[in-house]
Amino acid sequence: MDPYSVEGELVNIHTTFHQAQYRTVVDFDTSSFSPSNTLPARVLKLRAQIALGNYDEAVSDVEGEESTPDLAAVKAFAEYSKDPWDSEETIQAVEQLVQQEPDNLNVQLLCGSVLANVGRKDEALALLSRHQGSLDAVALIVQIYLQQNRTDLAAKEAKSARGFAQDSLLVNLAESWVGLREGGEKYQQAFYVFEELAQAPASTSPTSLIAQAVAELHLGRLPEAEVALQQALEKQPENPDAIANSIVLNAILGNETEELRARLGTVAAKHEFLVGVEARREAFAAACERYDPKFEP
Amino acid sequence: MLTKFESKSSRAKGLAFHPKRPWILVSLHSSTIQLWDYRMGTLIDRFEEHDGPVRGIDFHKTQPLFVSGGDDYKIKVWSYQTRRCLFTLNGHLDYVRTVFFHHELPWILSSSDDQTIRIWNWQNRSLICTMTGHNHYTMCAQFHPKEDLIVSASLDQSVRVWDISGLRKKHSAPTSMTFEDQMARANPNQADMFGNTDAVVKFVLEGHDRGVNWVAFHPTLPLIVSAGDDRLVKLWRMSETKAWEVDTCRGHFQNVSACLFHPHQDLILSVGEDKCIRVWDLNKRTSVQSFKRENDRFWVIAAHPEINLFAAGHDNGVMVFKLERERPASAVYQNQLFYITKEKHVRSYDFSKNVESPPMLSLKKLGSPWVPPRSLSYNPAERAILVTSPTDGGTYELITLPRDATGAVEPTDTKRGSGTSAVFVARNRFAVFNQASQQIDIRDLSNSTTKTIKPPHGTVDICFGGTGCLLLITATSVVLYDIQQKQHLAELSVNGVKYVVWSTDGLHAALLSKHNVTIVTKSLEQISTLHETIRIKSATWDDAGVLLYSTLNHIKYTLMNGDNGIVRTLEHTVYLVRVKGKSIYCLDRAAKPRILTIDPTEYRFKLALIKRDYDEMLNIIKTSSLVGQSIISYLQKKGYPEIALQFVQDPQTRFELAIECGNLDVAVEMARQLDRPKLWTRLSTEALAHGNHPIVEMAYQKLHSFDKLSFLYLSTGDKDKLTRMAKIAEHRGDMTSRFQNALYLGDVRSRVDILRELDLYPLAYMTAKSHGLGDECQTILEASGLSEEEIILPSEGKPVSPPRAIVPTFQSKWPVKITSSSTFQKALLGEGGEEETTPGTNGIGEEDLLEADAAVHQNGHLEEGEDEDAAGWDMGDENVVEAGGDLVDVDNTEGGAGSSEAELWSRNSPIAADHVAGGSYETAMQLLNRQIGAVNFKPLDNRFQEIYQASRTFLPANAGLPPLVNYVRRTLKETDSRKVLPLISRDLESISAGELQLGKTQMRTKKLEDGVKTFKKLLRLLMLNAVSSQREVEEAKNMISIAAQYALAMSIELHRRSLTGGSTDLASFSDDIKKRSLELSAYFTVPELEPAHVTLALFSAMNFANKNKQFSSALSFANALIEKGTNAKFKDNARKIKSVCERNPTDVIDIEFDQFGEFDICAASYTPIYGGEPSTACPYDGSKYHSKYKGTVCKICEVAQIGAPASGLRLFV
Repeated sequence: MDPYSVEGELVNIHTTFHQAQYRTVVDFDTSSFSPSNTLPARVLKLRAQIALGNYDEAVSDVEGEESTPDLAAVKAFAEYSKDPWDSEETIQAVEQLVQQEPDNLNVQLLCGSVLANVGRKDEALALLSRHQGSLDAVALIVQIYLQQNRTDLAAKEAKSARGFAQDSLLVNLAESWVGLREGGEKYQQAFYVFEELAQAPASTSPTSLIAQAVAELHLGRLPEAEVALQQALEKQPENPDAIANSIVLNAILGNETEELRARLGTVAAKHEFLVGVEARREAFAAACERYDPKFEP
Repeated sequence: MLTKFESKSSRAKGLAFHPKRPWILVSLHSSTIQLWDYRMGTLIDRFEEHDGPVRGIDFHKTQPLFVSGGDDYKIKVWSYQTRRCLFTLNGHLDYVRTVFFHHELPWILSSSDDQTIRIWNWQNRSLICTMTGHNHYTMCAQFHPKEDLIVSASLDQSVRVWDISGLRKKHSAPTSMTFEDQMARANPNQADMFGNTDAVVKFVLEGHDRGVNWVAFHPTLPLIVSAGDDRLVKLWRMSETKAWEVDTCRGHFQNVSACLFHPHQDLILSVGEDKCIRVWDLNKRTSVQSFKRENDRFWVIAAHPEINLFAAGHDNGVMVFKLERERPASAVYQNQLFYITKEKHVRSYDFSKNVESPPMLSLKKLGSPWVPPRSLSYNPAERAILVTSPTDGGTYELITLPRDATGAVEPTDTKRGSGTSAVFVARNRFAVFNQASQQIDIRDLSNSTTKTIKPPHGTVDICFGGTGCLLLITATSVVLYDIQQKQHLAELSVNGVKYVVWSTDGLHAALLSKHNVTIVTKSLEQISTLHETIRIKSATWDDAGVLLYSTLNHIKYTLMNGDNGIVRTLEHTVYLVRVKGKSIYCLDRAAKPRILTIDPTEYRFKLALIKRDYDEMLNIIKTSSLVGQSIISYLQKKGYPEIALQFVQDPQTRFELAIECGNLDVAVEMARQLDRPKLWTRLSTEALAHGNHPIVEMAYQKLHSFDKLSFLYLSTGDKDKLTRMAKIAEHRGDMTSRFQNALYLGDVRSRVDILRELDLYPLAYMTAKSHGLGDECQTILEASGLSEEEIILPSEGKPVSPPRAIVPTFQSKWPVKITSSSTFQKALLGEGGEEETTPGTNGIGEEDLLEADAAVHQNGHLEEGEDEDAAGWDMGDENVVEAGGDLVDVDNTEGGAGSSEAELWSRNSPIAADHVAGGSYETAMQLLNRQIGAVNFKPLDNRFQEIYQASRTFLPANAGLPPLVNYVRRTLKETDSRKVLPLISRDLESISAGELQLGKTQMRTKKLEDGVKTFKKLLRLLMLNAVSSQREVEEAKNMISIAAQYALAMSIELHRRSLTGGSTDLASFSDDIKKRSLELSAYFTVPELEPAHVTLALFSAMNFANKNKQFSSALSFANALIEKGTNAKFKDNARKIKSVCERNPTDVIDIEFDQFGEFDICAASYTPIYGGEPSTACPYDGSKYHSKYKGTVCKICEVAQIGAPASGLRLFV
């Protein structure tokens, strides 16, 4: 039986993971799982640890068990996530793993993420495309396509996934990600998905609240977006994405964003937002160079 | 069938509804007549004068009367106001079976076991007609509702229709009578063998095989229904000339006691001794519904003439019931109401436009024909509805609404199933509850079950419980159930909840039961609860979190804290669906949307009070007439006497409130108005507690309480007043008081005098002696004819003098008890104060002047050509198109990647702001350079950043990957990638309401430095912006020129101030500076500002000129001010100055200011540019410059190059 099917043992922990309720995943009681499901459950828990930023715990947990490719992939992923800017060795390890175990799902997922993060997106896509009906892989593929601004391919991927997984959470999420790029009516549909996740007490998490807020921002419903972001920040005051989107919201409203930017700088100095803003600042200075204003003496 | 009321009594034989009030008369076998209020369920009255069973009963339609007929052969007419039997009509010789009033004539119709039917006139209390013909008991006789007909039923197995038009003629007012009529009247004896022409048998209907118990006319059609002991209900039709049997309704298995037509629907109702109420379809004569009672045989049935209510009398009392629910099924989503009409059509109603859609769907086939749908649930994501009907133990249908409402089409694609209730719980899931099997199925849109839930035992209903949750309702509690986790989240014990109403923000819900409203949070924590004696029908939430609910006859509100009150009364029951401002939207029982207007002031005010939102309260107080005892006592009860004070006019109440909140000033004012000793006493006590002794003093004075006054003066150390008190006492001849004052004053001599005056020589002597006043002693001794030796004195103590006042307390108040001046009061005061000072804060006007000597000048023009200003714009529209095409460089795709939306923006738009949002700064600058000659971009740094930051959101997706960047659009509906455009922060409206207003305020309040900054910021905001229509483009351009003018005006004035250091007197400065500042002050009046601001500039210039002996200039400004000024005070000043200046209209210093010439001011040098002189302008804001400034950066916008070629700013694609 498919362990991820509705009645399977893994379905709840898996869903919880994708609802971004990482703490719940870590605390999930898996002691009664059948032996075949123990490893996938453990990997999920480790991934949740990594998502929570507990890289060292994850690494030490798998220490000495690198012979299992799944765990080796976890280790590589944890090490990469801990320090993405100094990751030569890790990337070598990743390359090796990809060579040896290209058909292991966890290797595909974790190593694929690393490759995508270091900019080798085509390699990541090639690796991930070897999956055997894994929605996790589909979700990653969709996101990588979107990063490449290939909304069309991402939509196709999501659609094909709906063919075999119908109304699964990940398919809904992936479609919503695509929808936020496509716009129009898709904004509203994406909003419904995120809102459903964010507002139900069982599935709410800062991540889904942020997603809801983002959808509302795109729909132009600013007060609602503000409420959702507030809720996210209440749950996790240091969430960089929540802060980044708060800056966006305040910029739209024409408010001062200096303080929030400083706050984002302290929690995630390398956040996309700050990287983008810094790049633009330089671009501005460079573009100004072309002009030579004369001032009246 | 829905039972609304049941009474317990002995056998009920007769029934009558009151046509207007919720009353029902029940006549009993036990000889009693009961009057019930079926709405409240209370017995109002009992009437017990009949002897034996009372079978017939009827209310008069308009008068406070009713009639009864009993087995004592008597017909009694009663007044329910005086609660007495007015009179008795005797004549029948056996039991009276039925009695009825005529609908307009003063007649009563009775049928009796003496085989006759009689008509009585209740006004002159006489028998006017006896109808004979039945040859057994007549069981029932009724008037036709419109025509002059009577129908009767008898145990002789026949039904007879009688024509009584003759009787009407005879008894109506005598009009001109024809000869024939007179003849007929003279010989009234041909008609039948009993000599009766008044009522003749028109038809005899035979068909029943046994006796007939009841008969009734149809309210509108020529139909008759009868019920008999042959267990049949027969339907008859009649024409002018004949009558015949139409059909028979078979089903009762015992004698049928009574029957009637449904007043509005094509139905027949009958009751019988088989303990059943049966409902028949009038057209098909088939049974529609039946209702059986366990033990009680039914004897009578009655219908309410107007509303949908029936009553049936049985062996043990009466039941009042409805055949069907009248609540129209409806659902609200955002601005739309979806509802099902009586014709079972689905319609929608748009709250924002107040229009009803044409029917969208017909649900004729849902459930059975006579059963309306029970509930409607709407799914906006799928545009689908879920309708339930109680037919067959409950069914539901899932139907997709058509995209456009084109008419009542039958739905094509429906999914159905059985279930008591069904609601959407998520975008693609709904829950179906089956009460019989106690099971909830979660189904997807293809109607297949995805999950099954076992609800707690005794669940009767389910409701939406917030996303992913359900509220399970049992008889005694409500359970919040999480569908995904399959667990109870919370439980609250509330009895008999029937409906749940969610607030628009989804944070609160109101649980409605029959008599209770319970407000809970979304996690089912109870916030408040309230009880109503009248049935609660519906509720809806105000956006501010106030629950409005309707009872049978009121709309009421409740706040979260449980405070509630009545908003308005209702004539008919309605079901609230939405509140918007002063409008309440509701559905009436005919399922028509209706709008009721309400006055929300009271609850808004109370809400503001609870939230301590003083601004809102202030606003309400100012804008609406919030008066009335209830609000005052509410405020007092809640501890806000100081606020209540604001509403009260009545001086007595004001006084009380003022005392309560310690507002002594008001209290004094009111006490003066009323001038009653009691009030002064209270005021004095209160003022004393406050330590406000001047008020205490005044109160004592008013009260003439001299003793207290003296003591007050003593204690405040006010010796002068005390002395005066002594004088007053002397004047009044009040010795005690004089003595007291003398004591307080320590004035021994006057004490001695007083005692002497009173002939109390011993005491006087003692006093004098002990204070060592030898001469006084002597005089006393002399007066009494004694010598010193003769007096034996007790040993003296030391003289005591009253302590001296160390602190002159009387000069100031005591340390005063802090009065409770609330924030609110402060707000009120602040507001008042502001109003007073507003004209004064015109800062610029503050330089004083008035003492002017002489001298006059003349005034110039202040008009200015606007046309020239717009020059920068005029050339704009022709050659802008190029901007879009050639500027965009597309750096294309590396590998398989596409181009991001940000890049598309730059491609799609010729607007600089869109390029900034796209991150393409270089092209943005190029565009600005071409469009408005921008060269200096430094000041735009912030604006660039702001736009860029507002254009991208960050969506967390897969764990471990960076968030997905998404691009915020202003084209929300657009999906064509060639047309999408970014959102640009700060739209025109926000700038107009923000910076523009702020800048003008700063002008008014003389904050010129800030003002210049504000207007420059405004110019930059508009430089990078995008608007949504051509009209807005014009508006934006207009705003740019306004801002430029203000910035220029303020800069000129600032420059002047910097020259003189703000001093108004120039005497100490060099001539150059004098001249320049006078000129600048004149130029300040030139830019085009709002009239009020030009007034300020003129006023300032006038005063400045006047003060510096530039009388000619001053005169000209004064003239301009008189002509154009907007401020009356300034105009007065101008007139004064004008009259002074006219005497000597010369200037001491000749300045370069030609009041008659047309000129602009150069924004760099602040010197005039006269018409014809070569000049140049800023291509963006249109500021004028002398041509030598060409090529430099504009002083006003600080971005554009003066005189640069420019195509005009693009703001709209």
